[in-house]
Amino acid sequence: MKQHTDDQPPSKTVLAAQALSVGYSERLVIPELSLEIAIGTITALVGPNGSGKSTVLKTLARLIAPSAGAVYLDGRAIASLPTREVARQLAILPQAPTAPEELTVGELVEQGRYPHAGPLRMLREQDHHAITEALTQANMLELRDRRLDSLSGGERQRAWIALALAQSTPILLLDEPTTFLDVGHQLEILTLIQQLNRIQGKTIVLVLHDLNQAARFAGRIIVLHAGRVVADGLPRVILTPELLAEVFQVKATIINHPVDGVPVCLPYATEANSPDDNQSVSDGSNSS
Amino acid sequence: MIQRLAARYYSLLILLSLLVLFVLLVLHVAVGSVPISPATVVAALFNQPVETYQRIIVWDLRLPRALIALLAGAMFGLAGAILQIIMRNPLAEPEMTGATSGSVLFAVLWLAQGPGQLAQPGPILPFVALIGGLIGGALVYLFSWRGHNDPVRLVLTGVLISAVLRSAISIILLLRQEVIGTVLLWLIGSLNGLVWDQLNILWPWAVIALPLGLTCASLANVLQLGEASASSLGLNATWTRLSLFFVAALLTASAVAVVGGITFLGLLAPHLARRVVGADARRLFPFSMLVGSGILLAADTVTQAVTQPVTVPVGAALALLGVPFFLYLVWRRNP
Repeated sequence: MKQHTDDQPPSKTVLAAQALSVGYSERLVIPELSLEIAIGTITALVGPNGSGKSTVLKTLARLIAPSAGAVYLDGRAIASLPTREVARQLAILPQAPTAPEELTVGELVEQGRYPHAGPLRMLREQDHHAITEALTQANMLELRDRRLDSLSGGERQRAWIALALAQSTPILLLDEPTTFLDVGHQLEILTLIQQLNRIQGKTIVLVLHDLNQAARFAGRIIVLHAGRVVADGLPRVILTPELLAEVFQVKATIINHPVDGVPVCLPYATEANSPDDNQSVSDGSNSS
Repeated sequence: MIQRLAARYYSLLILLSLLVLFVLLVLHVAVGSVPISPATVVAALFNQPVETYQRIIVWDLRLPRALIALLAGAMFGLAGAILQIIMRNPLAEPEMTGATSGSVLFAVLWLAQGPGQLAQPGPILPFVALIGGLIGGALVYLFSWRGHNDPVRLVLTGVLISAVLRSAISIILLLRQEVIGTVLLWLIGSLNGLVWDQLNILWPWAVIALPLGLTCASLANVLQLGEASASSLGLNATWTRLSLFFVAALLTASAVAVVGGITFLGLLAPHLARRVVGADARRLFPFSMLVGSGILLAADTVTQAVTQPVTVPVGAALALLGVPFFLYLVWRRNP
């Protein structure tokens, strides 16, 4: 089932999951999942609601402890690393994060320096530099003194991305960074993420809902279904009508975008009542 | 706008606030059954020659009360600011640590059942109340603990435990009604009759707990970004929340032990402070202290001036004035 179609030469793995099992109380959400993230790549995790993509991302970031298996950061078991060390290597932007509304953009982004803080937690020269740099990259420098509650949705998301950037980590994980944004701001955020990858070589893993955006901005798509990897590889190879039918229960046509040839999925009907559904238990509640 | 100015001229703001506090302190000392002019108060405070009776009134009777108001106000203000951050709830107040009702319960128990002569409102009572407050805080924390702590569960448990402790207080008071007279002022929260003895019980705790809370400001800043972001930044959220909770309970318990269960101050002071300096805990914590001191000093001054010769307890006055003021804040919140 799992197709591995990376046609690039093998490169260094910075983040890996080995035989990862994750569960909330009794329910096992992820049964034995393994994956490797190569340095300097953009990987998109996609899948239907409840497929476990957010859970995988949080486990990779050590926000959730797996019940079995392990996550490796640069070859070392992440659970055994000091918290601060992890925070200097890996930043995660959670889904719909919240902060006190009176906080200003500058005050928010400043917190990104916490894992780098020296004695007395005073900001040093390099911290001020990193903060300004992060604000500049996220195009938030001019909004530095604005309060979070005075920002638009897109600006607020850029402020949070700036926080993650101020953390100066080589790895950046993002959980649905485009939720609640209109299409223009979605593209703006994704373009910013793409630049961070291209210019700074950051390794990026992001959970996305929109398959077409995943196809456009990620070099690799991992499709999750009921906690398992059902497809993994280049967008143009793995995005097929069969996959969409199996995972999302939709009938769809895949075309290439007339402007740049990127694959585009065009769903046109649900397949819920289709008699030729190849998996009778594929509603996501299958937890065996 | 105010917030931006406050951030830029923060040291100036603090200096000005300290000046205002000094003026409030002088006014507080000046007001009473024997009025003394503010100029005389200042002279007495700086050891300039004044009449002997005036010196005695200023130094022995009124200054300790003013200083207690100053410290207790700061402690309630800081405790409230800390709790609003760890509970991620703008309505959190020191009462929710369980420390207030724990203190009151222990004090009432002590007065009702304590051993003979010792069980009088004297220097021992505040220590008993302090122990009760810390036990109340520990109860809230333990009952909210399920492998890790959670802000919402902490709030709900705090409300619940406080309610249980309060009903226990009511039952004891009903069974031993002769105690009511002794603890009534203290149940409401009052500065009446407080002198150096009580100040000497309060200030060591203030000296320990206030700086402890202030040094936690940068941790609180990370914590208020939420559990996931805080963990991503390398902060142990559970441990930080526990430490901050303990500091807040300590502040509340020791303040309540001396001045009684003054409500609303711990809710009001951080709210006002937040409007001026914003949510950055490094500015919010110190400024909440100053605002708390200012409110308690001013409220006690006004109450004394208005309700001579029978002084209404400042706790009652604060609750009376606090409710409409808080309503105003809530209304203004969403224009």
